[in-house]
Amino acid sequence: MGKSKCLITNGLFSLTLYFQSCSCSIMKKAIFRFRFDFWVLAALVVLLGGCDAGFTSADMSPGAQTGTGGSMARFALAGNTLYIATKQSLDVYDVSQADSPVKIAKTDLGVGVETIFPYRNNLYIGANDGMYIFDNAQPDKPRLLTKYTHIMSCDPVVVQGNYAYVTLRTGVACRQFNSVSLLEVIDISSPSNPRLIHSTPMDSPYGLGVDGTRLFVGEGSKGLKLFDISNPAQPKLMKFRSDIPTYDVIPYRSTLIVTGEKGIFQYRYDDKDRFDFLSKIPVE
Amino acid sequence: MQKLLYQFAVGIMLVVAACEPRDSETPANGPRFDGTAYQPIYASPAELARIESQPGRALRRPGKIYVKDNYLFVNDLGEGIHIIDNSDPASPRKVSFLRILANYDMAVKGSYLYADNASDLVVLDIRDPLNIKVVKRIEKAIPQSDYPPYANVWFECVDKGKGAVVGWEKVNVSSPTACFR
Repeated sequence: MGKSKCLITNGLFSLTLYFQSCSCSIMKKAIFRFRFDFWVLAALVVLLGGCDAGFTSADMSPGAQTGTGGSMARFALAGNTLYIATKQSLDVYDVSQADSPVKIAKTDLGVGVETIFPYRNNLYIGANDGMYIFDNAQPDKPRLLTKYTHIMSCDPVVVQGNYAYVTLRTGVACRQFNSVSLLEVIDISSPSNPRLIHSTPMDSPYGLGVDGTRLFVGEGSKGLKLFDISNPAQPKLMKFRSDIPTYDVIPYRSTLIVTGEKGIFQYRYDDKDRFDFLSKIPVE
Repeated sequence: MQKLLYQFAVGIMLVVAACEPRDSETPANGPRFDGTAYQPIYASPAELARIESQPGRALRRPGKIYVKDNYLFVNDLGEGIHIIDNSDPASPRKVSFLRILANYDMAVKGSYLYADNASDLVVLDIRDPLNIKVVKRIEKAIPQSDYPPYANVWFECVDKGKGAVVGWEKVNVSSPTACFR
């Protein structure tokens, strides 16, 4: 179902490209033959206008073309849109022409922006003062749905279904008021009204990743934590591997890819107890 | 009540002030001086623009990661990106290393890789990972901090005339530097 939708969108999109690339020569000929014939121009306007419709939702053509980043990412792709979280703003580039990004929007947030996670029709931004949720149905007009404010921090967010998982870390710059590191679960079933439903103390959490009933949280040099989230509102700690320093993770095709100060580690996991070592690329 | 408010406001100001780097001859509220300071590492525009494929090499300081199909991309903090063939996650194979100074982030669409190169956004054609090409450079797309990524430290103020800052080095100094945060 999802795939066919994607194919149709891609089809529409290539058609769009076709029309766009043709429109120039069509226009030249039109000018040559009809000398600014009103109807030719009107037709072009309609054509190009119709093309725009093909670009609307960044969420409609995921997968195939673009890859997947970790939760600490400042760069994120969704369909034909590249999002960059710069120091203080969310910048949006149209990458329909993959080799030639064009900046189409810039939203100043006025605070330190750290991470960005696109999920379905929304963008989840980890900023110094909380989690911002943007509706990105129209990539050139990111619309702020809500700002879930927490204590000053600089921490990432990942999303699955109706839940956002956020880590808050102490000890970073601008975090004087708080002394507890946390993993928070936020119910985002109503994105404009996020609700905190669970909070667990952590050691020094950095990046995190979620896949099905598994939640992986990097504890920096302290290690890696695996949680069972069969009940998303009550993450249950299954394993704490202090031998795997973890800055960030990507769960991908049942393989957990871990990056940290000792190198890249990979593990095979499933929705049961499996967590088998696959390989290590060491720091040398 | 008013006194409380006043104290709160002063507290807020102190916190905000502590996060801002600024110049001062004899700062009253600088961090404790321990004989060290951070010194910017500069790169000339030509040096910064030299982006190339190099043979696969050892990881030094792994940063962010990115996956696309069978490839795994690993940032080496400030130095560039390792391209790794990960078709078999049990035995990943280093394909090449992309030298991109002051790089920390990346994303891939089709055969194009987007990366930060100090304040520039660059687009690389990675169809042949052993011979990548820069196809686009958007200058000043990503604002850079002119202070090191640490709190409560002294540092040599950035002189933009010397080039782009591609890193910070901790050095011994006899007296506090002009900048701190």
